[in-house]
Amino acid sequence: MKKKIWLRGLVGVGVLASLSLLVACGGPTKKTATSTLNVTMGLSDEEWKVMNQDVLPAFEKESGIKVNAIQMEAADVEKKLQASVAAKRNDIDVISQDVNTTAQLVADGYMEDLSDQTKIIPSSTYPIQKQVGVFNGKTYFLPYRPNVEINYYNKTKFDKYGLQPPTNWDELLTVAKTLKAKEGIGRVAFKMSGDVIELVEFIRSAGGDPLNLNDAGTVTALTYLQKLMPYLSADTLKGTFSTTNTFLAKDEVYYMPNWPFATNIIVGDGGRKDILATSGFAGPKEQVKTLGGEVLGVVKGTKNKAAALKFIKYLETKQVQQLLLKKNGWPSFRADVTGTVTGWQAPYYQATDAALKIAQPLPNVTYMPDVNKLINDIFQETCVQGKDVKTVLQDYQPKLAKIKAEAKKAQ
Amino acid sequence: MTTRKLHFGRIILITVISTLMVMPVYLLFKISISSPSEVLTQHPTFLIHHFDFSHWRDVFQSGNIWAPLEKSLIVATGTMALATVIVAPASYAISRLSRKVRFGYIAALFFTKMFPTVGIALPIAITFTRWGLVDSDFGLVMAHLIEEIPFMAWILLSTFSAIPKALEEAALVDGANRMQALRYVVFPVAAQGIAVAAMYVWLNSWNEFTFALYLSLTTKTLPLEVYYYVQRGGFFETAAYSTLLAVPVILITFVLQRYLKSEYLSGAVK
Amino acid sequence: MRWLKKYYLELLLVLPMTVYILGFTLVPLIKTVILGFQDRYTGKFSWSTYQALFERPDFIQSIGNTAGISLISLTIQMFLAFVIANVLKQKFHGRAVVRSLVLMPMGIPTIVSGIIALYIFGTSGYFNELLLKLHLITRPVQWLTEGFQGLLVISLADTWKVLPTLVLLLLAGLEGISNEIYEAAAIDGASRWQTLGRITLPLLKPTITMAVLFRAVDVFRIFELPQVLVGQSVPFVATFAYQEYNLNNPNGSGAASTILLAMILTFALLWLKFVDRGAGFADQN
Repeated sequence: MKKKIWLRGLVGVGVLASLSLLVACGGPTKKTATSTLNVTMGLSDEEWKVMNQDVLPAFEKESGIKVNAIQMEAADVEKKLQASVAAKRNDIDVISQDVNTTAQLVADGYMEDLSDQTKIIPSSTYPIQKQVGVFNGKTYFLPYRPNVEINYYNKTKFDKYGLQPPTNWDELLTVAKTLKAKEGIGRVAFKMSGDVIELVEFIRSAGGDPLNLNDAGTVTALTYLQKLMPYLSADTLKGTFSTTNTFLAKDEVYYMPNWPFATNIIVGDGGRKDILATSGFAGPKEQVKTLGGEVLGVVKGTKNKAAALKFIKYLETKQVQQLLLKKNGWPSFRADVTGTVTGWQAPYYQATDAALKIAQPLPNVTYMPDVNKLINDIFQETCVQGKDVKTVLQDYQPKLAKIKAEAKKAQ
Repeated sequence: MTTRKLHFGRIILITVISTLMVMPVYLLFKISISSPSEVLTQHPTFLIHHFDFSHWRDVFQSGNIWAPLEKSLIVATGTMALATVIVAPASYAISRLSRKVRFGYIAALFFTKMFPTVGIALPIAITFTRWGLVDSDFGLVMAHLIEEIPFMAWILLSTFSAIPKALEEAALVDGANRMQALRYVVFPVAAQGIAVAAMYVWLNSWNEFTFALYLSLTTKTLPLEVYYYVQRGGFFETAAYSTLLAVPVILITFVLQRYLKSEYLSGAVK
Repeated sequence: MRWLKKYYLELLLVLPMTVYILGFTLVPLIKTVILGFQDRYTGKFSWSTYQALFERPDFIQSIGNTAGISLISLTIQMFLAFVIANVLKQKFHGRAVVRSLVLMPMGIPTIVSGIIALYIFGTSGYFNELLLKLHLITRPVQWLTEGFQGLLVISLADTWKVLPTLVLLLLAGLEGISNEIYEAAAIDGASRWQTLGRITLPLLKPTITMAVLFRAVDVFRIFELPQVLVGQSVPFVATFAYQEYNLNNPNGSGAASTILLAMILTFALLWLKFVDRGAGFADQN
């Protein structure tokens, strides 16, 4: 009998709780005063500390605008914008977005055209950085924080087998072959799981064009990858920016590129001081890295455009850029921002800096997400299923042509 | 002789089963209190060599845990309560309708469960955003109800079907009206089944990820917090947060063990 | 009208739930299905989305993988759940403790169970370490790859998480079979296997059907575990649908979701027609 009373109590409490919830949360959440800016960023814990303690308070004090900075990964921003734009709610004013996912946001029409605001861009900006937010001649994003992957390697293991980090494709193949021969499984990995950043690096290093995909360079790159593939770790097909850290820190792979935020996690947090980094290797034509990092954009339909632009201008100042360099080790888009990163992070920063000098952004075309899929499918057919490179590339030409034609029509 | 041998075999079987079920949780906890050198190696250790609670201390000191914890608790409890209020009466009523209607309803419930969540998460997210339900606990409760109502109905329909109609009819003959019959005859019999279903719903809501991701902007539930550390954080923060997410749930299953009699699910198949 | 009068209470009670399911599940679901039948560029009715879908190497693979993991998971899970339920059905010392331990994974969030599976089945994971220590292998194995091995590991991770619920379900069914039947069988001199094949399994059929269908729906839709464990390297229909959506093709996503719906429906109908034959689900008495 006691049991039943207990249960009845539970049900009673449940009913009460639900009623109070209905009362408490029934109404829509009210939007606060217009002087609050909602800004999304994808940062790590340490970076958030710098943002919240050093960067934002100064702006709030200076301008009287409250900044509500929200953690959001680049991949999730689109979902949020999709919902809030479709619902005409404008929950977000400014996004600090991964430069390689911007094409889609522009294609979807979520971003404000900032072409008449380009005067915000400081004159000391590196030329390539002025171009990263331009699509079809219109500026949608302004420069903020360039970034590039660096190639981490496990010094202990490399030393053990008398290896040096590769500087060209031949050496890379040798390293991959040696490690596979010594250890029985592939110990070199790349990220070829949906992300085309590194695939495009291979294509461009051989002189290929990711928007053409039928030139000699693309053929060379894919033929090389076909040869390299058997010696790579199986993790190549499932690497993401977060799993890569685990692969490296747990000695599952001995060589793999990742974004420099990994340094703090692998070396700082994990204490793996023997994992070092280089700026990568050259292809048969040249050495190319894919430019990443974040750019700033204003969401279309925001009621706080003036405040948003003010905030962007603030983030682009020399003083903020210098602060971000010093505290977060972020390279700047401004040529006049100099500073030295000291301590144990210094060598990693130097690798990043060197890689940045040869970095090119992914093509700024709005149909890039579709090309992304094509490149993935081509990689799948040639390097995983082992089909003939030239035939596959031929097969994909009509699809590429259709994507381009539809994109032109949509303009 | 054979019985003893069997007995021995059974003990081994039981030991193996229990170990396999518990081992993963143990490893998770172990990693959350390990020093880096024990985990970040090709040869991870199985035993706890020393207790390093610094990762746990970091988690609590950072203060990032409380708001998500609160939100998760409110949403899970709210979902449980609302689901019970909506589903229990409906399931009762359906169980009293004709066989054809009942079967149709069950088939419809089954049908709605077949679609991938990503397929309906977006249209739902747009509607809810329009209604200003982003970041509100109530909005997330409503989203969770989408998954939980069919689930709970699936269990409760059978619980109620197992209660003989005669019981109710007897009460009516004795002069009770329908509400009284419901209140004093049907619900007491079904109460434990309802409690079990409610607990399941609470657990599901506590764990839910996709809708939470779509419908949260500035607030987070615990699974979202874990997701953040999986993507951005160190190895140990991830383990510590994951353990934190699992602990209440393990405690609840332990506490509710006594009430979790398998007969309540049996109704589902009779 | 008389019908309305008789059933007004029932209608009143059913209404909120029906409205909720119709409004928040069925309507968006149908919208998404329609999306799959529209051309991506023109928005007109067309098969073009499906055509494009079946030209993608990943999608063909995802269908095979989804069907594969469903068969593997259902087989392993039903077998293990049946064994464990049989063990737990008997009375022995410490049964309550064992039961608690077996039920432990029930509430572990899927995302957490994925993280744990990575700790265990990673290249430098605990499973490889165990095998190395037992000298069963000489070099680490990469478990999470394309093919049977990868599917098996994902399905093991899934099994761990869902086994408690299945065990509870089957236990309920087993406990519903009265001891008298077993005693009668024993008197007639039936062997253990005969008892199993002629009594336990047939009487358990409704429970098994219920459990299989219940589980099939979730395993066909498997999403979070592969997303955490294998990313795009082993595509499944649900993860493929998500990827399509992420790469700006809601039509493709809708079409993939619809295919998944069709796969589950087909499986359910085949099961009901050929295995169950009206013993369980259809006979709701």
